[in-house]
Amino acid sequence: MMSENKNNINRRHFLKDGVWATCLAGLAGLGGFLLSKLKKNNTVWQIDPYVCVACGNCATYCVLEDSAVKCVQVYEICGYCDICTGYLEPEANPPDTGAEKELCPTGALKRVFVEDPYFEYNVDEALCNGCGKCVKGCTVFGNGSLFLQVRHDRCLNCNECSIAAACPSQAYKRVPANEPYLLKKMDHA
Amino acid sequence: MIRIGYIIIGIAVLCFSSGAASALERFPPPEFEGGYEFPSTTTPHPQQDIYEYMDTVVLLAALSLASYLVLRKRSRRAIFILMVFSLLYFGFWRKGCVCPIGATQNIVLSIFDHSYAVPVAVAFFFLLPLVFALFFGRVFCAAVCPLGAIQDLVLLRPVSVPSWLESGLRLFAYVYLAAAVLFAATGSAFLICRYDPFVAFFRLNGNLNVLIIGTCLLVISVFIGRPYCRFICPYGILLRQLSRLSKWRVTITPDECVQCRLCEDSCPYGAIRRPSVSWPETEYGRGKKRLAILLVLLPILIILCGWSGSGLRKVTSRMHPTVRLAERIYLEDTGKVEDTTDASLAFRATGKETEALYREALNIRANFGLGGWFFGGFVGLMIGLKLITVSIWRQRTDYEAGRASCLACGRCFKYCPMEHARLNKTKEALV
Amino acid sequence: MESNTDNTSQNTETTSTWYRSAVKTAIVCAVFSLIVLTFFVINYIQFRIIDANWEIQSLNLKKEFGQNLDDEQLLAKIRQLDLEFRQRRIRRLDFSRKGGYLLLGSVVIMLIAIKSADTFKKKLPAPQVLGNKDDEQLIQAKFSRWAVAAGLAVLGSGALILAMGTDIDFGGTNAVISTSYPSFEQVSQNWPAFRGPEGNGIVDFNDIPDSWNGKSGDGILWKTKIPLHGNNSPVVWEDRVFLSGGDPNELKVFCFDSVSGKLLWTGEVESPHLKNEEEPFEVMEDTGFASPTLVTDGRRVYAIFVTGDIGAFDFNGKNIWTKSLGIPDSSYGYASSLAMYRNLVLIQFDQGGPEDGISKMIALDGLTGQTVWETKRPVPNSWSSPIVTKIGEQFQLITCGDPWVIAYDPAKGTELWRVNCLYGDVAPSAIYANGLVFVIEPDATLFAIRADGQGDVTKTHIAWENDEWGPNICSPVSNGELVFMLASEGLIACYKNSDGTKLYEQDLRENFMASPTLVGDKLYLLTEDGVMFIIQAGPEYKELTKCELGEKCYASPAFVDGRIYIRGLEHLYCIGNNASE
Repeated sequence: MMSENKNNINRRHFLKDGVWATCLAGLAGLGGFLLSKLKKNNTVWQIDPYVCVACGNCATYCVLEDSAVKCVQVYEICGYCDICTGYLEPEANPPDTGAEKELCPTGALKRVFVEDPYFEYNVDEALCNGCGKCVKGCTVFGNGSLFLQVRHDRCLNCNECSIAAACPSQAYKRVPANEPYLLKKMDHA
Repeated sequence: MIRIGYIIIGIAVLCFSSGAASALERFPPPEFEGGYEFPSTTTPHPQQDIYEYMDTVVLLAALSLASYLVLRKRSRRAIFILMVFSLLYFGFWRKGCVCPIGATQNIVLSIFDHSYAVPVAVAFFFLLPLVFALFFGRVFCAAVCPLGAIQDLVLLRPVSVPSWLESGLRLFAYVYLAAAVLFAATGSAFLICRYDPFVAFFRLNGNLNVLIIGTCLLVISVFIGRPYCRFICPYGILLRQLSRLSKWRVTITPDECVQCRLCEDSCPYGAIRRPSVSWPETEYGRGKKRLAILLVLLPILIILCGWSGSGLRKVTSRMHPTVRLAERIYLEDTGKVEDTTDASLAFRATGKETEALYREALNIRANFGLGGWFFGGFVGLMIGLKLITVSIWRQRTDYEAGRASCLACGRCFKYCPMEHARLNKTKEALV
Repeated sequence: MESNTDNTSQNTETTSTWYRSAVKTAIVCAVFSLIVLTFFVINYIQFRIIDANWEIQSLNLKKEFGQNLDDEQLLAKIRQLDLEFRQRRIRRLDFSRKGGYLLLGSVVIMLIAIKSADTFKKKLPAPQVLGNKDDEQLIQAKFSRWAVAAGLAVLGSGALILAMGTDIDFGGTNAVISTSYPSFEQVSQNWPAFRGPEGNGIVDFNDIPDSWNGKSGDGILWKTKIPLHGNNSPVVWEDRVFLSGGDPNELKVFCFDSVSGKLLWTGEVESPHLKNEEEPFEVMEDTGFASPTLVTDGRRVYAIFVTGDIGAFDFNGKNIWTKSLGIPDSSYGYASSLAMYRNLVLIQFDQGGPEDGISKMIALDGLTGQTVWETKRPVPNSWSSPIVTKIGEQFQLITCGDPWVIAYDPAKGTELWRVNCLYGDVAPSAIYANGLVFVIEPDATLFAIRADGQGDVTKTHIAWENDEWGPNICSPVSNGELVFMLASEGLIACYKNSDGTKLYEQDLRENFMASPTLVGDKLYLLTEDGVMFIIQAGPEYKELTKCELGEKCYASPAFVDGRIYIRGLEHLYCIGNNASE
């Protein structure tokens, strides 16, 4: 009776050790697999500006109250237009500053005179809420030099970006952290 | 007059480039005379990778320290301090991302999606706590996990949950884990991250619904110890199973149990197992028969659950954005809905063929059909095993910490008179 | 926090003082947290609900201001609103940043206080009297089994509920094609575009009226006044007839009920190019504002105007989308009709001179108006209409321009073949019959091109050409054996399909703007004066009958089963066989 019991216990121990070793080996195997395709660089979220439709979700879906998505301006593409369709309401005539004529609800897009007839447009990131109203105006009628980007000094880089989950055009991508921006280029056809 | 001229030029240019929504350089960039220089677009960099490595090192250190504190030092106070540190560091300082619970999904995605590779830190975050569980039990839950810590801190008036209720409620965690794996494997969503109830507190910011869920869970945590860890946490399932096998684990008494029963109510997580003797004669026959039935039932349950999991593919696949989009486009095209959504408009703007989209959606759905078998099969297996394990008679001589459910918080240590003896406090207590 | 268990009541006095102060601290913190939380909720509601309305309000005001530029009061209001909106936003953001820390801080202090209070009033463990341990394990096991079974039941019913939701199976690929746009058969049973389903001017119905009189009303089912002038032809889908019209002030689409002739609805296409007082838009009187014929897919109707503005309306007259392509640079004014392939609205947007390179073929998605594809065309402005016709098992989109005749794949816009043969102001459209595409060089030549080429097939695929003469407006028509040409000045000629041998030529001494239509073995030719010549479509000229309408006619008529729809200068006529009913 006693020896039988002991045998039983030994067998159980043996079995348990076997499972234990299998689990450890499994974890090691998984680790090895991950190591084989491990990449050095972390990834971050970014918007592909050529896919983005400026729907406005970026302003409301970010886990941060003040969204990490802001509008950026690539000056080389900008037409420096007097009548900027990203800056002005469609009916604004004559083109001029003033709340009643600006598209931006937060006054984040600033207009600076350069030389006749050119104006420079700058985004004040502290005010920008990432709603994309100016982006829409600029993309549909203008050169598309204004577009939305995730600003990585603000972004928390959530494992699942909640704006990406809400993005209607699936414009969010994971990009390598050493090249964290997808800026528009001059020669894009 | 200049302005009118510009309007005309504008219209003319518009005519030339009409139609293409993304057309660039409709207005040629100007050539400035006054020596104007283009400002450059700022690109502030994300956090350095060094932080990721630091996190890994801190995680390793915290796990090692926790193992030492739980198994050698046996000090609840020290564990508590480490737990608070982890909450501050992994939670409030590093904003709760990435955590091992969520990392599960990255690992699964990297297995199924060849183009996706996990970053180093994420791989370590997933593996380290599991390896530690295999050696030392759930020390990760005890003092490292920020989600556990925040619940542990608010536990003020513990109420015990009967073990049968706990068995029933824990089924949710199995389903949650299976669903999270299914959705991660199909590249649909990271469910665990989407419904992480406490991360919003760490960020002091977040989605309203998640904040409400989190607050409710915290209020429950005041009375019921760590409800997320016990009934919801999918990673906890993995830790449970591995800690069953652990080499070393929490023992309530440092010495021999004297069956004083003082520790009986000390565990707010219902993890203390009472001693029991042999199977009562009257129940022996019935118990064996029941066990046999349950063993036969197990494969049936697995197949049945797998079949229904697979059968739900039309519903489950809706978590995938492409399937949602395809269904929406289909509804619009067949005139079942009249309006359009941002997503459907964006899709149509790309000019891709709807048939290709439908095909893609059907493929994804087929993946969900296959994944559904595993999803349902796993749930069925777990339910079957649960039924079997509760029907097996356990013989125990001492008060023990449950191998799977002990969170290694160390609350029970000081209830044991033998512990006081070890710490030479016996005299004080007796005097 | 977790202090010693030997914390007994040796010192009741101090313990209770500490205890009481801890409890008080906890209460104060709890109240404070609640207050902060309330502010949070208020902040949230204001931020997400009230301020959202605020923005809409401000947008409305801006719109109002756009129409009323001199209203100083309104201007001040807008600016005030805007300033407040921005200030509030900044305040909100500031509060949610600081409030979060406040709340966190107070909750932490409360927790510490409560835990301290607990330590000061620690209970010693007092185990309950034990029942029968074995029984307990049995009972627990039994309950556990039931609990797990209940969980299984909950899961099962959850799955059942999920499974009962809406079920979308994409109905196989074929079903998709038949539902998202009309099938080829459905299109063939209607008159959805200029010159019929395939734009060849061929009627597939037998029961077409052949006698009527506009003055006496014989054979006229109904006659309705068209509110605005236009040269476009009627298009018909089941019980709806569509036309468009325009003048310098407005561009409109009209929908008539085919049974009663009642004008069902009028849709307006807003154009940014009209009502421009500084630079009024002018167009040649003969062309007018609405020359291009509409097109319909049975779900929506699409209209393009001389200003390059396109509008889409559903069958109830709701404007689905409008799009402005910009005013086309066209010497007589834009006149190419639209064509339709599946869900695509096809626009031959030829404009400018030969060197300008601004002509293109555009395909818009019918549902949204988004550009699906766009192809540049190496031709100057033209007035010919594109046709989409089935050649073998494939559809080809065939276009005429100077000098290229180009066929495209209508789904993708890729070019199939091209022939360099035309010259001048091209207006007649191409037709397809029996393996050959017929195109006309205005006032000069009739070409027959084999339609199975690839790339530039000028040298290889011209089957024959006849350079005696050619019409400059009306398109040809063919029954597969014979091809007929009709000149605006009244000359009709008939050629053999196979080799281009001329069989006859006849001068009708009338003026024609409408293109000829083939109905079975008859040809229907509508003169400018509204007289329909019905002649035999055979190798010899034979006039069968003549029917008078009594109104000037410039548009080609539309034919559906048992009916002809003719657009007069001012009225739309419906001619039917059973007019007496």
